[in-house]
Amino acid sequence: MKSILKSLVLISAAIFSIVAGAQEVQPMLGQTAPSFTLKALDGKTYSLEQFKGKYIVIHFAATWCPFCNAEAPYLQELSKSYRDKGVEVFIVDVKEDKELVQKSLTRFNFSFPVLLDEDGAVSTKYAPAGVQPDLARHEVPLASNLIIDKEGKIRFYSLLNTTAFDAKLTMLKEKLDSFLNSK
Amino acid sequence: MIMMNWAIIIVPVFLLMGNKKFKPADIVKIKVPEIVVSAGKRAVIKMEVEIKKGYHIQANKVNDELLIPTIVKIDEDKNITTGRQKFPPAKKFKLEGTNNFLEVYDGVFEIRIPIKTKTKTPKGEHILDAKFHYQACDNRTCLFPKSIGFSIPLKII
Repeated sequence: MKSILKSLVLISAAIFSIVAGAQEVQPMLGQTAPSFTLKALDGKTYSLEQFKGKYIVIHFAATWCPFCNAEAPYLQELSKSYRDKGVEVFIVDVKEDKELVQKSLTRFNFSFPVLLDEDGAVSTKYAPAGVQPDLARHEVPLASNLIIDKEGKIRFYSLLNTTAFDAKLTMLKEKLDSFLNSK
Repeated sequence: MIMMNWAIIIVPVFLLMGNKKFKPADIVKIKVPEIVVSAGKRAVIKMEVEIKKGYHIQANKVNDELLIPTIVKIDEDKNITTGRQKFPPAKKFKLEGTNNFLEVYDGVFEIRIPIKTKTKTPKGEHILDAKFHYQACDNRTCLFPKSIGFSIPLKII
């Protein structure tokens, strides 16, 4: 009887921690996404404003970031399968030079733009106030994923959580689906 | 008066430098006890590295060329040569939701560095300047790669 009770307590604790992780409060929801204009690896310049009317997925990354690289193939997959649904995917590479990013990301064969935030200014704008206050602000959004809606508002913002790491972007896709289906 | 003006400029500059250096030192602490070695002989430096609780750093050998391996670089010295560094075995850190592992260090570990002194090395205290280069993550963030300088104290007898 005791062991059954013990097992029940453990199972409940595990379920609670999973649910708590999934329902973690996301920052900046409903806020207007900070505007930016950045050059990309493809040589073109992209600004957030030019994609108004579309859903945008942004992933903040650096070439040495293991969690970013683990998500990379799934971002490419997401980009391919959601492009026809009016979803644009971007990587914002933080504080690295073009040559390094170009060389390092070849393996992922991204079909979407990789934007170069060489001075970290855009990443800094997306660092939620009060989150990780002891870090340099441009470091905070690394490995995060955001969904920005057609009106330019942040609708999803998942900061890195390695204990519930979602490399396959399951939650992000669920959110995207719910936004796309509710139109 | 001129001295006071200089103090007003210099003190804040040092305070700023101190703040800049404080953060990485918070993640990684390095202790190197003094090595006593005879001129012309060999010895082994045993440096103790402590990683802040909750953090890990990439190991010396990484399984992906994009990752930043932990390395120790020792400045060249005309009297002392260093040999092949020996890092501890790495721990495996699972990337949840994937089949991938990172090779990492956490907690406290030791790196051993063999040295050889030349016969003509002057006796007395000697310092080797070195840098520890690493990239750290905890469960909330991955920090940009950093280098911290440290000294290796030697006593040549």
